[in-house]
Amino acid sequence: MNDIWINRLSEYLDGELDNEERAALEAHLATCGQCYATLGELSQVVTRAKALQNTEPATDLWPDIRARLMPARDTRIAPAPARSRRFAFTIPQLLAACLALVMLSGGVVWMALGGGARRAPFDNSANEPTPPPEFRTVSNERWKVQSDMAIADLQDALTLNEGKLDTATVRIVRQNLAVIDRAISQAQRALKRDPGNTYLNLHLANTMRQKIDLLRRANALAGES
Amino acid sequence: MPRQVLEETLTADSIAADTALAQSGDPSAFERLYRTHVARVHTLVRRMLDADEADDVTQDVFIRAWQKLSTFRGESAFGTWLHRLAVNVVLARRKSIGVERGRFIPDDAPIDAASGKPVTLELSMDFEEALARLPEGARQVFVLHDVEGYRHDEIARMLGVVPGTSKSQLHHARMALRRHLDR
Repeated sequence: MNDIWINRLSEYLDGELDNEERAALEAHLATCGQCYATLGELSQVVTRAKALQNTEPATDLWPDIRARLMPARDTRIAPAPARSRRFAFTIPQLLAACLALVMLSGGVVWMALGGGARRAPFDNSANEPTPPPEFRTVSNERWKVQSDMAIADLQDALTLNEGKLDTATVRIVRQNLAVIDRAISQAQRALKRDPGNTYLNLHLANTMRQKIDLLRRANALAGES
Repeated sequence: MPRQVLEETLTADSIAADTALAQSGDPSAFERLYRTHVARVHTLVRRMLDADEADDVTQDVFIRAWQKLSTFRGESAFGTWLHRLAVNVVLARRKSIGVERGRFIPDDAPIDAASGKPVTLELSMDFEEALARLPEGARQVFVLHDVEGYRHDEIARMLGVVPGTSKSQLHHARMALRRHLDR
């Protein structure tokens, strides 16, 4: 086994010796029974290796693979979100909007609870805030109808466009709309008790305008994406 | 057309169709590809790694294949592409667990635990057992060269060694298996 050629037998078997080396080895094989026998055994090993059979795993791996590949598939097949511009309000912006609306809503509650029984300071005509231009030029009922129609149209559009906004933006827009809707609802309830309250009418008009502005902005963002 | 050739042609067409369907996101087609190729992949993984890792790594291979299906251009057979991917996953696994690469078997290293029986076809499990007991480097080269048919230059690239090392590892592996089978 210390024969210098013994370590070249695999190369010879694989046809990787050059002509000179091959000739020298073949000359050696003619005189060395041990190398000749070893070559035969190595050849058997190679033959055996090529005849090895593949075997199935003991357990079916497919259920686990399928469970793992489904999320990956969704990621691969879904339209590449990174290619489309997606807009999001900044968190401070949205939190500020929420806080402002909550305060607004709180003011309406305060008005609804106290304004019907006794005049709020705002009821003083001298302190009455200036109505928005639209409010002064369009009758209340007509303005409300127009606002309701605009809001309905914008909400329908937003429903269609939500898919273009990222999840966080959609969630916060919905939260803001819910806050605005509560403020509108409270103002409407207060107005039922005091239909002539100028402040409540103005407040309702402003709140609805805020809702329209928010819906328009959300749709515009979706449209740009 | 001879029946065997016809069957092979139909199988190749079927695999090509399933590959295209899988590329479009059809998991049923991918399952058929899995059923067709799992034995070869699992066996490769089992021979190159420890048997107890074979199931997990085989899953990794098919997950990786699914994720990379879009890169398959049909320039080779799907099975060839998958097999090469499986080898890459196996080698990455070896690196990740820090297994030493390129160890040699001493000429007189015994494979004592493997029973020494003559080489016969019906004793293939003994050959497999002896193969499983080879040191990692020699086992990987032997499997890649003698079982899977890769060339030394390809193996050297895959393992990050020079072709001479691959040849040397192969020879030591063959010698060890020969001695064991000679007992």
